[in-house]
Amino acid sequence: MTQASRVKKLTDSVSHIEVSPPRLQWMGHSRQWGTRVKKGEHGLRLGDLNVGIYGEIPQHWEDQSRRPRGAADLPGMPPLPYHLRSKHQLWADSAADLYEEAIQHRWIPATDIPWSELSPLPDDVERAMCQVLTELMQAANAELESITYWQEQMSYGYHEVKQFLAVAALTCARHIDAFRKRCLANGGGLGLESRGRMNRAILESRGGWTEAVVYIYLLRGFHVQNQYRLLLAHAHNAAEREIFANCLADHSRHMSYALDHLKYAITQQASQAAIIQTLLSLGESTLARDIQEPVQRSALAIVFGGGVEGGRQEGMATWRAMVRQSIHDYLDACEWLGIKRNMIQRRLNALLPPDEQLVPTERG
Amino acid sequence: MNGAPDLELDTAWMGRMGEWGTTVRPGKRGLTLEDIRIGGYGELPEESDNMSGRPRGAAERPEAFRIGGYTVRSKREIWLENATFLYEEALQRQWSSATDIPWETIEPLPDDIEEAECALCTFFNEVEFVAGDVPARWVANISPDFFEARNVLLAQVQDEARHMDVFRKRALANGGGLTRVTGATSGFVGGIDLSRDFTEMSSRMHVSGEGAVLSMFRMGELVGQNPAEKRMYRLCAQDEARHVAFGIMHLRYLHATAPDRHEEIEAYLDEAENLSLTGGTNPAGPQAETSEALAILLGGGKQHYDEGFRILLAIRKRQLKEYMQRVKSAGFGERFENGRSPVPGRIAALC
Repeated sequence: MTQASRVKKLTDSVSHIEVSPPRLQWMGHSRQWGTRVKKGEHGLRLGDLNVGIYGEIPQHWEDQSRRPRGAADLPGMPPLPYHLRSKHQLWADSAADLYEEAIQHRWIPATDIPWSELSPLPDDVERAMCQVLTELMQAANAELESITYWQEQMSYGYHEVKQFLAVAALTCARHIDAFRKRCLANGGGLGLESRGRMNRAILESRGGWTEAVVYIYLLRGFHVQNQYRLLLAHAHNAAEREIFANCLADHSRHMSYALDHLKYAITQQASQAAIIQTLLSLGESTLARDIQEPVQRSALAIVFGGGVEGGRQEGMATWRAMVRQSIHDYLDACEWLGIKRNMIQRRLNALLPPDEQLVPTERG
Repeated sequence: MNGAPDLELDTAWMGRMGEWGTTVRPGKRGLTLEDIRIGGYGELPEESDNMSGRPRGAAERPEAFRIGGYTVRSKREIWLENATFLYEEALQRQWSSATDIPWETIEPLPDDIEEAECALCTFFNEVEFVAGDVPARWVANISPDFFEARNVLLAQVQDEARHMDVFRKRALANGGGLTRVTGATSGFVGGIDLSRDFTEMSSRMHVSGEGAVLSMFRMGELVGQNPAEKRMYRLCAQDEARHVAFGIMHLRYLHATAPDRHEEIEAYLDEAENLSLTGGTNPAGPQAETSEALAILLGGGKQHYDEGFRILLAIRKRQLKEYMQRVKSAGFGERFENGRSPVPGRIAALC
């Protein structure tokens, strides 16, 4: 059917209806007419659109409606509960690029993981792997629940961040999906649920998105990142390699946003560095307790050591090295952010080798 | 590590794990969430007591903190039978507005058509904001025992982010720009985003709101002025169809399992038929400014406004018929026979 005949068929039954003349009151309100953004070698990206008034990102966005940034206002609209309306509360310059990258690097647990490559593992190793993944599922769950709690409170003056976080939340769900499939695909099952100390700290962090970012990413993020890294290095087959390589790339993207945001928040808000110092002093103890938790620690050591026997020496040594690396990554990031930790909570400090320990504090 | 805490290997937890010995093999569609709904892992509770956020089927730990704060804990409040299918399909059909739209096919348009397209894109930004914000708000309130349904909502949030993105890109790509907002999605009591019950929200957003938008997207072949716009509407329609399917299938489940809520659902449908379908949130609705913009696009310019408006009326009729079909499919079709619904009368008026 041609377009013309399709239109005729559509309109035959309404051809008798009289049409009132249009009022066209919506015309002529554009704040910047004549915008013509061209696509580049990577397509037409979100960040490319930030030209003229459309690229003016305000320090504060009073509008509590759903007006897209750059659109003309319609006065008199009842407000919606957008509580995060200042740039320093959520912004990261990299958000638009990270959003596009996340879209490009999407993967599908059902079909992109070579599940047929899985093969039976010794019972202790299978149990350890399933336990590790059960805990990581809960970490990803806390991350996505925190993101979605804050996301709807973020104003549309900063849509790039909302869009990045929309993808980040689904990414967390995809991790949970992949881990669950791995647990149920190789003769095992799910493990024991997490004790959940850090998950609790994250979900009860309701003072602001920046504070949640401190706990999810700055404090715990490196520990999660290093677990993915070591699990990738100790993968038993191509399926596990693919899972952990994807998760590592995704998580690193989330970390990039987080550190970029924290840097921005600290630079723009005089009191922010001190607040983060306090949060870290309180949170380090919680993180240290989570790291030392016997179940996850032992399960990781068994995976790294290739079994219970190997886990006692080699596996535990790898685990210690991983924890050391995570703490150093964390301290380096703090220094980069300008919140150098001269003292760290004694439980976390005790996880470093003696010659690398800092001044311990009892706080937290 | 001198001074380090005692870190002996603990294996006692190996006897406290979830159901053991599960081996699932991938099928022709890979290893889907449906495939792993086996044994105890596939059993969903009618009422979830999981307040610690543990994955369904993981072994409970008595000392775990009750950190979930979940308010949606009844299966009937959230469930739908095809959640796993919708989630897997959403992942398979993700697309990129940066690279999957042939932006190079956009050519300069007459000012009236460009402005009409930009007005529509501005409006779609507003409504996609709602459809992104609202499901996100519910995710953290839903027990992870029903994670399959939650995953569909999370995929929707990402879809809507991409829709905002593609409509913003279109508005700024062809010599136009964003126009004035309609305000149709602001904080009105009774609106989609102020609903306090998940099913209430879903019936408003998925069934009536997104249903109306889906009918519009499906007319993209007529509205679109070039291959880029036609593709944009086609891809958005594909996503939107999943979101509408979520709402319909959830209503169907509720219809089958919760007869005590039938009258309440009918009341939401009454509201939708009297407000959402006719008000400003329906881009083709009689009270919407966007109707004029659509008529210009459908007619091919202001000078063909009447012709375009008649096509719009036909679209409106189609919207109503599709809406009826969806509601019938959910099990609430009697309202169209017993005189409760004004929709059949509205369709008759357009004939």
